[in-house]
Amino acid sequence: MKAANPLYGLMAEFANERALLEATRRTYAGGYRRLDAYSPFPVEGLAQALGRRRTAVPLIVLIGGLTGGLGGYFLQYYAMAVDYKFNIGGRPLHSWPSFIPITFELTVLCASLSAVIGMLALNRLPEPYHPVFNVPEFARASVDRFFLCIESTDPVFELPETRRFLESLNPIRVMEVSS
Amino acid sequence: MNESLRSRLNRVQSAALVVGVAGLALCVLGAFVSGRQQFFASYLFGYLFWLNLSLGCFGIAMLQHLTGGRWGFVIRRFLEAGFMIIPLMALLFVPLLFGLQDLYAWARPTEVAVDPVLQNRANYLNPTGFIIRAVVVFAIWSSMAWCLRKWSLQQDQTTDPAPTRRLRTLSGPGMVIYPLTATFAYIDWAMSLEPDWYSTMFPVIIVIGQFLSTIAFSIVMLGLLRKEAPFAEVVSTTHFHHLGNLLLTFVMFWTYISFGQFLIIWSGNLPQEIVWYVHRIADGWKWIVVLLALFHFFVPFFLLLFRANKQRVPVLMTIAGFVFFVRILDVFWMVAPSFHPTGIRIHWLDVAAPLGVGGIWIAAFIYHLKRRDLLPRHDPRLQPVIAHAR
Repeated sequence: MKAANPLYGLMAEFANERALLEATRRTYAGGYRRLDAYSPFPVEGLAQALGRRRTAVPLIVLIGGLTGGLGGYFLQYYAMAVDYKFNIGGRPLHSWPSFIPITFELTVLCASLSAVIGMLALNRLPEPYHPVFNVPEFARASVDRFFLCIESTDPVFELPETRRFLESLNPIRVMEVSS
Repeated sequence: MNESLRSRLNRVQSAALVVGVAGLALCVLGAFVSGRQQFFASYLFGYLFWLNLSLGCFGIAMLQHLTGGRWGFVIRRFLEAGFMIIPLMALLFVPLLFGLQDLYAWARPTEVAVDPVLQNRANYLNPTGFIIRAVVVFAIWSSMAWCLRKWSLQQDQTTDPAPTRRLRTLSGPGMVIYPLTATFAYIDWAMSLEPDWYSTMFPVIIVIGQFLSTIAFSIVMLGLLRKEAPFAEVVSTTHFHHLGNLLLTFVMFWTYISFGQFLIIWSGNLPQEIVWYVHRIADGWKWIVVLLALFHFFVPFFLLLFRANKQRVPVLMTIAGFVFFVRILDVFWMVAPSFHPTGIRIHWLDVAAPLGVGGIWIAAFIYHLKRRDLLPRHDPRLQPVIAHAR
């Protein structure tokens, strides 16, 4: 039934970050889960208010870093001690101290690349089309207004009740977002 | 500071004083029983460890005056009490002047006569120069420390921003003067233990080690006092999280430069450079290297990666206390192998000396701590911090 609904969700507009934070907390407490908040600058505590507790980014970074480090070390070990044995200054073929800088750099490189790519992937970015931009007022989300959007796919979402609920949060206005 | 805390601090102070005096008395006894050289070697190690802590307090205090940051206001009084001990440390430095010939090859004319490197260095590295440089660096440190403390206490009595501005004005050049003077001091006191050895990385390792000791010490102190007034109303998990991040930073930085120095010297493998490490991996000494690699880097590094470990105060205190003790091992490994270059030797004086100097240090630390409010309440930048905590 919901797929036939051309409505993406309902959006409330707020004048400042405190109102947005308070509204988000109450919306979450009201049982809504599929919601997102938009503000021109990072608001401390907003992610928690939206129910975002944990993210998988640290784990992705750890795996990336370990892969880079182990891979970098193995690359050098294989090249220097197995595949192309080359006597440098009479040192052992497996001279681990000289492998450390590359191992370290590859750890950092792979960890930071996985952080960026992992963050983008988990945020499903880049996203060329998003319904929230169908609302003309939303342009001010990157200037001086704060928005809270409840998506129509939310199990608790019912058009008249949700609209009344959002209006009870004292927004500047409540708008319908077409998908 | 309330009465119960004051009386507890008094008890710790008396205990520390007893340990200090007993330790130093044992050191004097050891000088007669075990020979002058062992006494001076152990005393130098114990002395340098605690001097490192005072100098780290000095550096971090100036750093914090420049950068601000919530973590710094809550440990400011610890840092001040720590660097106010520098004049006392200058006094405890005096015994070393009587042992120059026992400690340093450049002070022994018979060895200088056969070593062309030492002959060329003699114009700089000689007992008179050593004493002059020590007097100059202690004078600079003590006078700057005195100013930093005076202006910080003036903040408590006035709403005038002038003391805050003065603190910042001194700290800027201070952050240049401190590593420079420390470089000259530690070339004399520690680097010249290996007569022909030199490394431009060495003073950096020393200064970063001082920062690391200080951050670890401050975390333990703040953890111990976190439930006392006035900390109870201000200190939050965030402070420990930030301090834990700093601890992780300096653990990594210490490893980075320590390994950097090793890698360069190992790659060059020149006789006068590699001698430092040859003495420090000889026989049993290599086990100290293994311990340092494990407990000065790997274990604290991996534990401090987890946010939960930095936010749970008892856990963070344990890690910090552990790092603090491993710092002692690092300073020991820096000093002692020069006197026992063929293999590890841990003398009972190596325990008595750090305990003796440390007891005196802790007693003096508590003396300075007790004199004032434990928070720099009137620092203009602290007000938002207090407001935020509530």
